[in-house]
Amino acid sequence: MDLIQHGFLRGIAYGLLIITVVMTATAWGMWLERKIAAQMQNRMGPMFVGFHGLLQPVADMLKLLQKEDILPAGADDWLFNLAPILTALFAIATAAVVPWSAQIVASDLDVGLLWVLALGGIMVVPVWMAGWASNNKFALIGGMRAVAQSVSYGVPLVLTSMVAVVFTGTMSLSGIVQFQMAHGWLIYWPPGPGIIAFLLFYMALLAESNRIPFDIPEAESELVAGISTEYTGMKFGMFYVAEYVHTMVGSAIAALIFLGGWDGPFHWLPGLHWMVAKTVILFVSVYWVRWTLLRFRSDQLMRLCWLYLVPMSLALLVFAAVWVTYFAA
Amino acid sequence: MATAANSPTESRYRLDQVDADADLMVLNFGPQHPSTHGVFRIKLILDGEIVIRAIPYAGYLHRGVEKLLEKLTYAQGVPIVDKNDYVSPMSNEQALVMAFEKLLKVEVPRRARYLRLIFSELQRIASHLLWLGTFALDMGGALGGGSTVFMYCFRDREGILDLFEAVTGGRFHYNTHTIGGNRHDIPLGWDKRVLAYLDMLEPRIAECESMTTNNSIFVARTQGIGLIDKDLAQGLGLSGPLLRASGVDHDLRRDAPYHAYDEVPVRVMVEQAGDCQARALVRVREMRESIRLVREALAGLPEGGINSGKIIKMPQQFKAQSGQVYAAIETPRGELGTFVIAGGGDKGTAPYRLKIRAPSLHALSALPWILPGHTISDVVVVLGSLDPIMGEVDR
Amino acid sequence: MAVDEQGSAPNAAGQVEAGTPEVPVIQAQSPPIAAKTAVPLAATALSAAIGPGHGSVDESVQAFEHPIYKTLLNVPGLSVAVASLDQLLTWGQKSALFMFPMATSCCGIEFMATAASRVDVDRMGAIVRGTPRQADVMVIAGTITVKMAPKVKRLWEQMPEPKWAVAMGSCAISGDFYRDLYPTIPGIDTVLPVDVYVPGCPPDPQSLMHGLMRLQEKIGLKRAGQWVPTEVRPETEKMTNPGVRRLIDPQRDPEVTAQQTRLALAATVDEPEGELLESGAEAVEQQLPQDLQTLLRERFEVEVFPADAAPIVARKHHLHLARTLKAMGYLNFVYVVASHWPSKDGETFEVAYAVRRTGPGTTLAQWRVQLAADEPIESLAEVWAGADWQEREQYDLVGVQFAGHPDLRRLMLSDDWQGHPLRRDYPADKACFPWR
Ligand code: SF4
Repeated sequence: MDLIQHGFLRGIAYGLLIITVVMTATAWGMWLERKIAAQMQNRMGPMFVGFHGLLQPVADMLKLLQKEDILPAGADDWLFNLAPILTALFAIATAAVVPWSAQIVASDLDVGLLWVLALGGIMVVPVWMAGWASNNKFALIGGMRAVAQSVSYGVPLVLTSMVAVVFTGTMSLSGIVQFQMAHGWLIYWPPGPGIIAFLLFYMALLAESNRIPFDIPEAESELVAGISTEYTGMKFGMFYVAEYVHTMVGSAIAALIFLGGWDGPFHWLPGLHWMVAKTVILFVSVYWVRWTLLRFRSDQLMRLCWLYLVPMSLALLVFAAVWVTYFAA
Repeated sequence: MATAANSPTESRYRLDQVDADADLMVLNFGPQHPSTHGVFRIKLILDGEIVIRAIPYAGYLHRGVEKLLEKLTYAQGVPIVDKNDYVSPMSNEQALVMAFEKLLKVEVPRRARYLRLIFSELQRIASHLLWLGTFALDMGGALGGGSTVFMYCFRDREGILDLFEAVTGGRFHYNTHTIGGNRHDIPLGWDKRVLAYLDMLEPRIAECESMTTNNSIFVARTQGIGLIDKDLAQGLGLSGPLLRASGVDHDLRRDAPYHAYDEVPVRVMVEQAGDCQARALVRVREMRESIRLVREALAGLPEGGINSGKIIKMPQQFKAQSGQVYAAIETPRGELGTFVIAGGGDKGTAPYRLKIRAPSLHALSALPWILPGHTISDVVVVLGSLDPIMGEVDR
Repeated sequence: MAVDEQGSAPNAAGQVEAGTPEVPVIQAQSPPIAAKTAVPLAATALSAAIGPGHGSVDESVQAFEHPIYKTLLNVPGLSVAVASLDQLLTWGQKSALFMFPMATSCCGIEFMATAASRVDVDRMGAIVRGTPRQADVMVIAGTITVKMAPKVKRLWEQMPEPKWAVAMGSCAISGDFYRDLYPTIPGIDTVLPVDVYVPGCPPDPQSLMHGLMRLQEKIGLKRAGQWVPTEVRPETEKMTNPGVRRLIDPQRDPEVTAQQTRLALAATVDEPEGELLESGAEAVEQQLPQDLQTLLRERFEVEVFPADAAPIVARKHHLHLARTLKAMGYLNFVYVVASHWPSKDGETFEVAYAVRRTGPGTTLAQWRVQLAADEPIESLAEVWAGADWQEREQYDLVGVQFAGHPDLRRLMLSDDWQGHPLRRDYPADKACFPWR
């Protein structure tokens, strides 16, 4: 029992659990996405393996594991091999601090939100490494675009989450949720700015996780496959998984800081249910948007960010500060 | 005049605007790239993401069709040209047999002319649907909204392929036109199927429109992109929707009627802007217009034979010792012409020289003129809006 | 290039069964090519279409095997576990086939239709990837030309093992009716080893789906986790030694060639002689509007207006005529067609031009210019930008020189191509190293 109480071991145990759960959830997230897309497109989606193709992600991963590992001529082998590992690592590391209910959290950092945002920001480094090391012009352009985009969209992402921090007065993710349980969800309290902040956060999230309409770093029709053009087998699989983990954790964070986390109308239902339901709804909505919209051009993307999102989130932040100082008390 | 004064190797590349010590990058786009619409290569010289020079290379699908047609008799040529513009094989066949009919002075029965009109308009819808789908795919990606539009368009296109299959037995290489008429008459009840299909299609086009031409991202991506002004369009020899999108009111169906277009008049869709959006709008409107034309032609479809039976039975009987003709029709891509010099083969049974004037070739030759100054993302949009079919460009 | 080698390639199938009485039977079924050439034309074409299919759908290839694999299999008790792991891995491989579309032409459209809603290849877990690095199956859909073939090979080499190839459509299988033409290659299996052939022109989406399912079966038959290095695939031999013989092949039986040529050129085989439909000088109407005729007569010294063709303009007037026409409103460029007229006293060329006045009541202005051999003609690319590519095409295919053209390069064929294929004396099936 003592061992379990020991913070370090407890962290490891929870960490392993979280990795397993997140990876499993991600795998079936991919399946879910494919099925949703197929339904939207009058298709069936995966059907041949398992019930309605439920085993498809397993097959995908098994296949990717067996593929030959190619190092392109002229590639920088260190960076080339490191990039996918770091991408997957950072993506999963963000999952560590996400509280799924009041009790289920691997590491409830005081600065959990900062941790998530920081890791999300640093994700750009392996992406750029991949683009640079591939010795492929398409990958290079994809990497450049990814850097430009993440750096730009990191700003509204941080600013809008700061709105939540200013309102709640804490950077701990569970603290934010507890505040919301006491005062109401941020999305409708205070009326107005909450929902705008949520929408801005959502858009920035789409951009951060490279989802249409902001998926210009990948842009298959222009850049073949963007940064992952030269990657084969499991290395490509890591990028692939990291994307989904990123989206899933992003959805979870959005649910936590704006939608009340594990707070729900009926308290007899364990909080985990609410949290998972909110995350899945947001996750699905990301894919709903993805399979509906076309893609922006890179300069339009930058314009949208710097001319609209950044000023609006700045204004929101100021409003939040004013509100907290003069009205909330 | 802009078109006459300079060749595209000079002023239009805007080399003067490029920073002298900019690091230029050469990007080979194609020949196998997800959005080159077949095998086509553009060498892009980039300054950052801005294209400062574009050098297209065609010919990766040059199959020697013209040489092959010199070797075959007149009637044997029809199934070969099916494969040129493989998105609208009906129009290919029509362009070829019309030239031969003109050369050999063969009359086409009225019913056959109506059927040809119906086929060519249905083909136009199918072709434009495919274009819309792939255009959206270029813009929205295989893993995004683009592919949804693509799926919708392909689903609707299948309906037309089914209709054609009911008539000809082939999904999309038909071999149904012959010199002097058609080979297959429509089966019983086919017209009702067509009408039912068209009724179903109209709202679906609206649905696709709401995802593309009425969508603000689409507008933002296409407006002002790939401008071709009136003079350049004319000089480049563009035709069809490309020419009409540049503000030239020209449509062979109305201006030099063939088939039964003199009896079923066409309303020509013209847009003034000359950018990718205009080209998209023209095509979408043409689909609606084609639906109307098919309905009208089906209503007025005359009874009677569809060919002179003897000609069908004895395709080797065509001989022409001399003469040169050019016949052109308005395909979904523009003016598809066939230029025939008679007198080849064994005592004039084959063309001496046959040239297919492909609208897509001219469309692609516009690329060096319009790409410079755009970004890489625009390259795929511009290329898609030109709707090139490589089988027709390279032949 | 011995004849016997041809016969031996498909026989690799027999090697597994070594020792079983079937071996001689199998060998008898695939005789050396020399024997094949004696069969009638139709049968040759048939066997050409089927032959490579039998040759390369071959489950027996001696595969690469990791030493650990053998050791593990020999550990008592472990073999069951390894075998089931094997099965699992194989299942993974065959259930998630990412396709690389080598879609060049018409079959590519059917390939797209296969991926689209009605057939939906995603059902079997196959999705389309744009980069060869992440693909398992290359679907070669469409005609592969001599210019394209090296690129296909390069893309194939870029795909990671284990990889498979599906040849979709007659063009990819054998070259279809372009087979004996100068620019195409006789089937993609001369370039890379093909696993499944899907015949048709084009095969409909269901057939491609079927083909992919056959590929799954084939993968299932192989043990998982092991892959076959490209070098030892017996099919690779075909790259230098095409399994399908071309018309011009020196090893080919001249009898068959003669028969094919005779059949292709014969006017009638079994058709009754009826009245001939002839066209001659009177048949074709005059094609030029009246005002143009006047103009040509008065300013460009054109005397003769042939009834069945465009008038011939002297070369010295050519450029001037073009400028005049443009000023008259003939803005839209239509065509340039060069033709080659060899005769006993040398060769001449004829170049036909047409431009169009657009709008209602459109008119076409057509004229011709005759050239001696090697005489250049003034380029019109200055006047109409559209003449640029068309003139390049004619230069490429017919070999007429256009003086003053800004960029006179080959358009269709590769830069190092010898000769001009649309000349009358250029054989349609002229060889192009190394493809035939
Ligand atoms: S097999 Fe037929 S349909 Fe396929 S590419 Fe060749 S000609 Fe086109």
